[in-house]
Amino acid sequence: MSFDLHLIVESLPVMMMGLGITIKLLIISGVLGLVLAIFLLLMRISGKWYLNFPAQMYIYVFRGTPILVQIFIVYYGLPQFEVVRDSVFWPILREPTGCAILALSLNTGAYVSEILRGGVLGVSKGLLEAGSALGMSAYHKFVYITAPIATRLALPAYSNDVISLLKSTALASTITIADMTGIARTIVADTYAPYEIFISLAIVYLIFTFGIQKLFGLIERYLGRYTIREQPHE
Amino acid sequence: MELMTFRKLAFVFSTALALGITGAANSETLRVGMECTYAPFNYKTADGELAGYDVDVANGVAKIIGADLEFVCQEWDGMIPALLANKFDLIIASMSITEKRMKKIDFSGPYRFSTGRILGRKSKEMNLFDGMGNPIPENFKGLRVGLERATTYSNWFEEILPGADVVLYDGSEPLYLDLQNGRVDLIMTNPMKAHLKFLSKENGAGFEFKGPTVDEEKYFGIGVGIGMRKGGDPLKTRLNNALKELINSGELETYARKIFPFKLHKDEWGQ
Repeated sequence: MSFDLHLIVESLPVMMMGLGITIKLLIISGVLGLVLAIFLLLMRISGKWYLNFPAQMYIYVFRGTPILVQIFIVYYGLPQFEVVRDSVFWPILREPTGCAILALSLNTGAYVSEILRGGVLGVSKGLLEAGSALGMSAYHKFVYITAPIATRLALPAYSNDVISLLKSTALASTITIADMTGIARTIVADTYAPYEIFISLAIVYLIFTFGIQKLFGLIERYLGRYTIREQPHE
Repeated sequence: MELMTFRKLAFVFSTALALGITGAANSETLRVGMECTYAPFNYKTADGELAGYDVDVANGVAKIIGADLEFVCQEWDGMIPALLANKFDLIIASMSITEKRMKKIDFSGPYRFSTGRILGRKSKEMNLFDGMGNPIPENFKGLRVGLERATTYSNWFEEILPGADVVLYDGSEPLYLDLQNGRVDLIMTNPMKAHLKFLSKENGAGFEFKGPTVDEEKYFGIGVGIGMRKGGDPLKTRLNNALKELINSGELETYARKIFPFKLHKDEWGQ
């Protein structure tokens, strides 16, 4: 089989038409997932069992099942109930994009909350004790000591999750969404040239991932700017 | 040396078998690709057995040409790439013989009609076709239409009704689900299949055909045929002869009558 370069040149711009949808899925579910993750985190570290336990169950369920299955349950499963079809959420759930964003947010929220918890647990006790000695309240300690340090600690693992979310958006193509992968699959079905098209698609994702990596590298450098200056003293 | 003799022996044996002197034992195995989910044409029964019109045709042809079959289940949108990648030797999967597909693969003669028809909700009055049976493009504007990716239906819609909002699915079953759920206003599929699997069932009670059967040859081809890689002319001749035998002996009609009260082919295809 020969490698048809012309076909790649021709189909790349068409695939890029799906870039907007891929970015939309990534950003909206990323932000919603992060908000959800913060709530879950607060429940987890609240020290109250009736908050901790539901959060733990939630995380267990959403990390313990494949994201593809979750997407199918939301897209094909929910509308089976008349209640859902009559509810105010139907305009969102009727749209495949709405379903994909919902499933992706719920899924990534579970992972990110655990990443954030890792960051919170990484904050050294000594700093919090120092805070108490200065008479800071629990709220002040969380906002001014725990949160900034935990963010810095959790960032490398979080960037990992954003990249994995980017790749999960490709699953949206299974519920009729014309994201980059969906468009690529349609082109393949038309041209019968899976090799060329999927290779170019993979390269587009790689470039995208590279951008995310760089972005998080910059944020890490920015948040860690104090630690860099302190290094010579150690 | 030893290898050479072994090869020679193997060659003698395989030719002897391929000639099929007794007709009982045969070494030729043809792998057949199909969706396995496209009832009533090719699907798995509750026992996991393959059944349907395409499966009957495959078995009927195999018996005549004296070959063993091995069935391979393959998703529709990868069917032709999989054939080209040698994952199987034949496509017997209700695939219409279209000019576009003939650029990549070869087809036998037809063994079933290829048509499409639009389905929608009974309660929605839609004026989609004029008196001549031609679609009215303006009336499709803004309607959401569910279609299977890479089918004759999607090609027809893209060319004839570019104003419709087309949504592409990976299989035929989700089409019915989303039509019921109200995610799409219309779907287009094979009318025989739609009648049997949907409209005649409880789920399909609120739905009906909108407009006439469409079978424009430019998009739907002359019918459904057996697909194969190009360059297999001896095989193609054998398959064509076998299909003609099935048509002329009335066997093909019995396959159709297992499912429908009418046959699915034209007798002139047997000439």
